[in-house]
Amino acid sequence: MATPQNRLHKWLIGGPPLAYLVVFFAIPVLIMVLASLRNSGDFGGLAPLFSEESGTLDLTTENYGRFFSDLIYTELFLKSFAYAAITTLVCLVIAYPLAMLIARSAKKHRDLLVLLVILPFWSNFLIRVYAWMIILGPQSVFVSALNRVLGTIGIEPVTLLYTPFAVIVGLVYVHLPFMVLPLYANLEKHDPALLDAAQDLGANAWRRFWRVTFPLSLPGVYAGAALVFIPALGIFAIPDILGGTEGIMIGNVIKQQFLDTRDWPFGSVLSMVLTVMAVALAGLAAWVARQSRT
Amino acid sequence: MIRRSRGLWAAAIFAYVFLYAPLVIVVAYSFNDSRLNAEWVGFTFAWYGKLFHNEKMLQAAWNSLLIGVTASVVSTVFGTMAGYAMYRFKMRLLPLLILAPIAIPEILMGVSLLIFFVLLNISLGMISIILSHIAFCIGFVAIVVRSRLAGMDESLTEAARDLGATPWMAFRLVTLPLIMPGVVAGALMAFTLSIDDFVITFFTAGVGSTTLPLQIYTMVKIAVTPEVNAVSTLLMMLTLALILIASKLAPGSLRAQ
Amino acid sequence: MKKLLALMLFVSLPALSADELHLYNWNDYIAPEAVKAFEAQCKCKVVQDFYGDNEELVAKLAAGAKGYDVMVPTSNYVAGMAKAGWLQPLDKGKLPNFKNLMPTYLNTEFDPGNKYSVPYAMSITLIGYNDQKMKELGITVDSWAVIFDPRILQKIKGKVTVLDSQAEVMAAALKYHGYSVNDRDPAHWQQAKETILKAKPYWAAFMAQGYIKELSTGNIWVVHGYSNDIFQADIGAQEAKQKFRIRHALPKEGAVLALDAMVIAKTAPRPDLAHQFINFMLEGKNSAALTNITGSGNPNTEAMQFIKPEIKSIKAVFPDADSAKRLEQLKDMNKKERKLLNRIWTEIKAK
Repeated sequence: MATPQNRLHKWLIGGPPLAYLVVFFAIPVLIMVLASLRNSGDFGGLAPLFSEESGTLDLTTENYGRFFSDLIYTELFLKSFAYAAITTLVCLVIAYPLAMLIARSAKKHRDLLVLLVILPFWSNFLIRVYAWMIILGPQSVFVSALNRVLGTIGIEPVTLLYTPFAVIVGLVYVHLPFMVLPLYANLEKHDPALLDAAQDLGANAWRRFWRVTFPLSLPGVYAGAALVFIPALGIFAIPDILGGTEGIMIGNVIKQQFLDTRDWPFGSVLSMVLTVMAVALAGLAAWVARQSRT
Repeated sequence: MIRRSRGLWAAAIFAYVFLYAPLVIVVAYSFNDSRLNAEWVGFTFAWYGKLFHNEKMLQAAWNSLLIGVTASVVSTVFGTMAGYAMYRFKMRLLPLLILAPIAIPEILMGVSLLIFFVLLNISLGMISIILSHIAFCIGFVAIVVRSRLAGMDESLTEAARDLGATPWMAFRLVTLPLIMPGVVAGALMAFTLSIDDFVITFFTAGVGSTTLPLQIYTMVKIAVTPEVNAVSTLLMMLTLALILIASKLAPGSLRAQ
Repeated sequence: MKKLLALMLFVSLPALSADELHLYNWNDYIAPEAVKAFEAQCKCKVVQDFYGDNEELVAKLAAGAKGYDVMVPTSNYVAGMAKAGWLQPLDKGKLPNFKNLMPTYLNTEFDPGNKYSVPYAMSITLIGYNDQKMKELGITVDSWAVIFDPRILQKIKGKVTVLDSQAEVMAAALKYHGYSVNDRDPAHWQQAKETILKAKPYWAAFMAQGYIKELSTGNIWVVHGYSNDIFQADIGAQEAKQKFRIRHALPKEGAVLALDAMVIAKTAPRPDLAHQFINFMLEGKNSAALTNITGSGNPNTEAMQFIKPEIKSIKAVFPDADSAKRLEQLKDMNKKERKLLNRIWTEIKAK
């Protein structure tokens, strides 16, 4: 197989994209690792790598020290984790019946139904979030109707915009398709004969779901969870727009280090920690998925 | 046999309403005759008229389009090559570099590219945005192309080779037409990702390179006028048209996703 | 690859083309007719980019952004920007209209002798409020207590927003306690933090500028915001034919004055056009045009005759000598102070 010609083809075809990704992805990320060990410059950016006074490399672990010695950042990570976890769970609950319905409808309708899930996703992200500002705002029809209903049963009117609830709604909304698609791809492959067999053996619909469908769909659940959880963890625009005084997430703090505080090294530290966690979680999801398959 | 309970239908309809309610609001309010975007006042086309006289917005739309087209063309070429290479040969590093940009938080990529461009003294602007967009689009194209190749009949290419075609001819005349739906789907995906990207653009933008998402972000944070609704309605129509054209050109390409 | 290079060249062409002035300015901080008039006069095109915060501008420059000609930072940033080597000295010979400026706003400590900067317009960070609601509730808005005192706040819970800016919120809290906005005593900062944390449960959100619309619709009744934005909110309320008006209140404890100034970038591709532009903006009529649409304060003597009387009569924007004395400009912080402030801010936002 590995003839010289073959090897030439391999590098001719695989080489250019590989080189591009090394230059514009791998190297920047490595630089970032280094940046987290440097001092910040007086007016933003980074201090010179070689300090002029001592003539040595000006590196420091102080930025990591700051992260680990101050609980507030860990607290924020936990808070972001909670937001992302709730988002993932809500996405799963909403997406599962939808994916199941699509997978079980007639073949000719499936493409359309899938397209209908992706379609909103092709319009601008910020616009979609912004629409929720209108829906959840105090003057919206939805909120006033809700409050009227709550009023009749004697509950105080609620505000929805600028609350953690609004952040979750926004997060669920923009990430829902990432959950539906892998679930659908998985559920579509299920053999209906299995469910028939279960029914013949006397299992009711509820049991059939928990004993047959759900265990079989676990790889799809894990894939969807990873695709929702990871992006939701690092987001900053949604808490910015919908969050009010309590919705801040770790993404906002990272953005602050680069755009408010001119502290790039500390911003790099926070990004590094976030990435390590995200990659670890993705790895875990892949591992669990593989375990459940065998 | 079809197993659909009423509960399943209700849940699915709820999900679709959830997905579409905001879009309906956005479109409806683009015709609302009130600057405040709060309650319905009356029907008007005025915001569309205003939009076409708003130079900031038009410039931003033009920038987005230019970036989207350039980035999707280049990343489709690279992505197709990468997808083909991963399918054909044993590559160790490539699959990792394809998957990593998709797996890591977007903000990290934006920030690291910002530092990278500064260190290399590449001034921030259209070029830095395009280079960044290509970097995150390649992976998506490669994955779509790769999955398309996986479903392909190997013997066709071999037959072409047996009939004396060079590897390049075999690729161009046999393989490429077969994977075309995947390539088109990948290109489409790259274009949408690029035109919708906010986070990475936010960090890599510079002189004269305000894109639509950046413009919309400033507008959403400041007093929002229905011009934002008008521009996003048009944008939705554009993407819808693109999807329809793509599905005419390459039926089944959407299924590849 | 050749195609790629050709494409990139094509993309970069507009940036190199000849008669363009690149203006990096606050969003909506120039009268469109002034831009048109200048374009007609210089036979060039004005290309605008926007920022929402001085820090955004600084971040871009620190990141090495090049190609801007004129920028409009707030005065207190000028010293740092000049020290960082991002600005070029102005050629006063090319700015005959410099004489129109009021001496009060010249020769500040941030730029002695106005070597690098020319005052453009100013805003005051103060309180904006819904006059009808405040009357109903019997609240007199004349002090920062409206933003920080829980006894007053409980009547307007969820109807208050404060700026999404660590420097501004801290400055307001320091003023409330009677300190200077530039106080750097950690104990005073701690005291300000406690006050903010006690008031925070009553606030609806930290908002950079979204409060303009919220005031106009009547969703929010009291804001800590910029005088220009509060002016915009009032226009919005009138356009929507609301029963209330949005009013400015300059707190008796004093407030932050932000004097925005025009500067020319060291790397400006067209310093000639930049000087021409600055001189043009110093003409009374053009300077007044900005105030007439944004409600900004104005440092230009010649502009006064062109400013609409209803704007000139807003005392909070054109304060009398006595109130003017209680206004302070924010000074830039050093690295350590910035880190400490951000630590406090993160805690405020996370709690």
